[in-house]
Amino acid sequence: MSGEPPRPRRPGGALSSEPRPEETPKNPPVEPKAKPVEALPFLLDFFPLEGAKETRLSRFYERLREGRVSTTRCPRDLELHWPPRTACPKCHSEELEWTDLPEKGRIYSFSAVLAGAPLGMEAEVPYAVGLVDLEGAPLRLFGRIEGRAWNALHVGESVRLEPYALPDGRWFYRFRAAD
Amino acid sequence: MSGRAVAVVGGVTTKWGVRSATWPELAQEVGAALFRAVPELRAEEVDSLFVGAAEPERFAFQSHVAPLAAEQMGVRPHRILQRTELACASGQSAIRSAYAAIASGLSDIAVAVGIEKMNIPSMAEANSSMGCVMDRMWDGPHGATAPPFFAMVAQRHMLEYGTTEEQLAAVSEKNHRFANSNPSAQFHEKSFPRDKLLRLPLIAPPLRLGDCSSMTDGAAAVLLVGEESARRFTDTPAWIRGTGQYSDFHNLAHSGSLTDWVGLKTASREALRRAGIGVHDLDFAEVHDCFSISEIIEYEALGLCGPGEGGRFVADGRSSIGGEIVVNPRGGLLGCGHPLGATGIGQAVEVFHQFARTVPPARQVPDPEWALVHNLSGSANVHSLMVYQRGGAA
Ligand SMILES: [Zn+2]
Repeated sequence: MSGEPPRPRRPGGALSSEPRPEETPKNPPVEPKAKPVEALPFLLDFFPLEGAKETRLSRFYERLREGRVSTTRCPRDLELHWPPRTACPKCHSEELEWTDLPEKGRIYSFSAVLAGAPLGMEAEVPYAVGLVDLEGAPLRLFGRIEGRAWNALHVGESVRLEPYALPDGRWFYRFRAAD
Repeated sequence: MSGRAVAVVGGVTTKWGVRSATWPELAQEVGAALFRAVPELRAEEVDSLFVGAAEPERFAFQSHVAPLAAEQMGVRPHRILQRTELACASGQSAIRSAYAAIASGLSDIAVAVGIEKMNIPSMAEANSSMGCVMDRMWDGPHGATAPPFFAMVAQRHMLEYGTTEEQLAAVSEKNHRFANSNPSAQFHEKSFPRDKLLRLPLIAPPLRLGDCSSMTDGAAAVLLVGEESARRFTDTPAWIRGTGQYSDFHNLAHSGSLTDWVGLKTASREALRRAGIGVHDLDFAEVHDCFSISEIIEYEALGLCGPGEGGRFVADGRSSIGGEIVVNPRGGLLGCGHPLGATGIGQAVEVFHQFARTVPPARQVPDPEWALVHNLSGSANVHSLMVYQRGGAA
């Protein structure tokens, strides 16, 4: 999957607090202008619509554009969520705050898709995926692992969490193994 | 269990595989087979129909499938008509719902049917449909489907316990061998010769083609009745004695230990407690071998062997005829294929025919009294179980 390199992270580092999800940002998000490249029918496209019109979690995708992979946290019980949420599953508060995730993590387990890729991902085969323990946060995230062939990856090795742009202007996140 | 006793008193499957048949045609086929197999059953007696169907919207572009299935099968349910969806456990959900309906008195005679059409012109579109069983907005964009998830499970099991590729292949070999005596099965031993298993292409390493169940078209149906009419249909009712279910996550971030299936431990304890037996009282089990590694971990979580011993358990023949418990005599999902909504029903059909001693001798469990059926769904995040007892009094 191609995409421009992630933008530099904002100063301030991990776990900085941000406005809660429903707050209107000062700079409204830039809606992708270009039509999706080789657009899939909406109901076969795994990548979600990211704008404030479509999701209450549009801040997540805005922050990806700023170079930050983030999630929500409940200020009441300090529960760190994944994926980001609009209501805390523990205390059901809807007053949540945004916080950046650590950049570094270690592979807990991985595999690769060598056959049987979903529609639109066939050209990416073989691709590696894994579960990664983030360093400094009690989260194990699943994601694509780029940067190295699947058969040169190792359980326990360090990878970096990074945002990336899709050709159609949407953003998502993935892991990158060191070269 | 308390309440009115409920039994499976008949069951049929269509041929499973890549079928030149549509979803409604599979419904007609299984309906015709059921009424042929149970001539005592009159269509107007079927007061309720539960339709296990996982993804008819995606694979057949059809919603509202319960009345469609009823029409195709030639029944007119007047008490409860509904579809049950729980991905790979949709069929067992239909049986559990029928059981609850009959036990409560809402229904007297119910059919639980499972129907899935999965082979469509675009394999990539079918793969997407399987991918949306996962948390599609967060795990889906990474290309998550079942094979890489269960491959990670296998990788951890190998790392933590030294389980080998040969032990994975032993599950595949056993279940394909059992499938030889099952004409409904999609695959037989000749499709996956024993000496070639470790040379088949990798699908999601370490899992190879022979470690993975398949995209399958197929249907199956069982007839369930209350205790007062069971003997009208058969001398060997399969009494439902226990059931249990547990769900603990959905997004893969919460999958926890990939090798310690707490949900299965919890649900099986509940099902066996309700039945009043222990796991070693079981004569056979139909468990969810969507992948070879699944069956290995299921031995462990059910308590048939200790943690990490599942690979040796199958390699030593302890889950085959002549061993401690026969696991997947039907041929499992690896042999029979896995038409999502039909799988749980197909397993119950096997239980009924094992108890009736109407399966071919090559897979007949000697003198079976107790059987367990297990389905997992999704990324092993839900486990659903039933315990059956043969014949005897209600
Ligand atoms: Zn909270």
